Amino acid sequence: MSFEKSLRIPTDRVGVLIGKSGNIKSEIEKKCSVKIHVDSETGDIRINEKGKVEDIKPFKAVEIITAIGRGFSPKNAILLLNDENVLHVIDLRDFAGKSTSKLERIKGRIIGEGGKARQHMEELSGARISVYGRSVGIIGEANQLKLAINAITDLCCGRVHGAVYSKLEAARRREKRDKLQLWEGQNIFD
Amino acid sequence: MLSEEPEKNTNEKWGIAHIYSSYNNTIVHLTDLTGAETVSISSGGMHVNADRYESSPYAAMKASTAVVEVAKTKGFTAFHIRVRAVGGVGSRVPGPGAQAAIRAIARGGFKIGRIDDVTPIPHDTTRKKGGKRGRRV
Repeated sequence: MSFEKSLRIPTDRVGVLIGKSGNIKSEIEKKCSVKIHVDSETGDIRINEKGKVEDIKPFKAVEIITAIGRGFSPKNAILLLNDENVLHVIDLRDFAGKSTSKLERIKGRIIGEGGKARQHMEELSGARISVYGRSVGIIGEANQLKLAINAITDLCCGRVHGAVYSKLEAARRREKRDKLQLWEGQNIFD
Repeated sequence: MLSEEPEKNTNEKWGIAHIYSSYNNTIVHLTDLTGAETVSISSGGMHVNADRYESSPYAAMKASTAVVEVAKTKGFTAFHIRVRAVGGVGSRVPGPGAQAAIRAIARGGFKIGRIDDVTPIPHDTTRKKGGKRGRRV
């Protein structure tokens, strides 16, 4: 068995990945049965497998490290260890092009005044959102992720905040109703 | 990356497990070493009823155990694993099913060779779907 993958994270996130006296890095290594080599000058990271085949989670390790590189706190990034949760990264250059002023405006709209918009979207969709550099990272279950991605792309395209919130609220109500109807009208003995 | 020969051991029969994992489904496809001959194929959607559970780790596990059974009857003993996310303009990290599928194949008693990420990454990109004005509902 062999696995090797290299990726790069911003140099100012290297410290977060390693943690105080290496505790974050060693926790990821232990939980995912991998070995992580970090070059703190350039931000290059190499991941190798280590330990038994049954335990290794190499792609989870890659996801966690990308999430930390995309501005998530280790506490939120470690949520990815739950099998249901996935990471998605939206590149804001798709919407803003090369213009820095447009990028700043879009980032401001996603974050909102004092982080209000971001917090509200996190609460309504259940996903975790991080705005960093030229990208937005989202962590959540498949359903939550879809809601959050739609909300953020809508905001980037210029939809007003109120409309985005009401769409999220409607989706949440629908999900609640579906949960109640889970057993009705279904042949559960299939 | 897979070009080098696997270990020379006469009583081992190697194959490749292609795992395609998106947010909507997981497809596990076992082939021989050339990749042209299918041994067995199964997907998450074949084992659950609701659309939203097709990509779940549980469905991925069921799909892999199904292909593992067939591979055992055909005498395979070891597999290389190639994991693929959507890639291109889509997501570049494998979906929730990838991890569960790998584990189910390993638990099936096969030797695991290389684990590769074969997500297609463009050097430049085609335009994302949805047009200039974005997705309108």
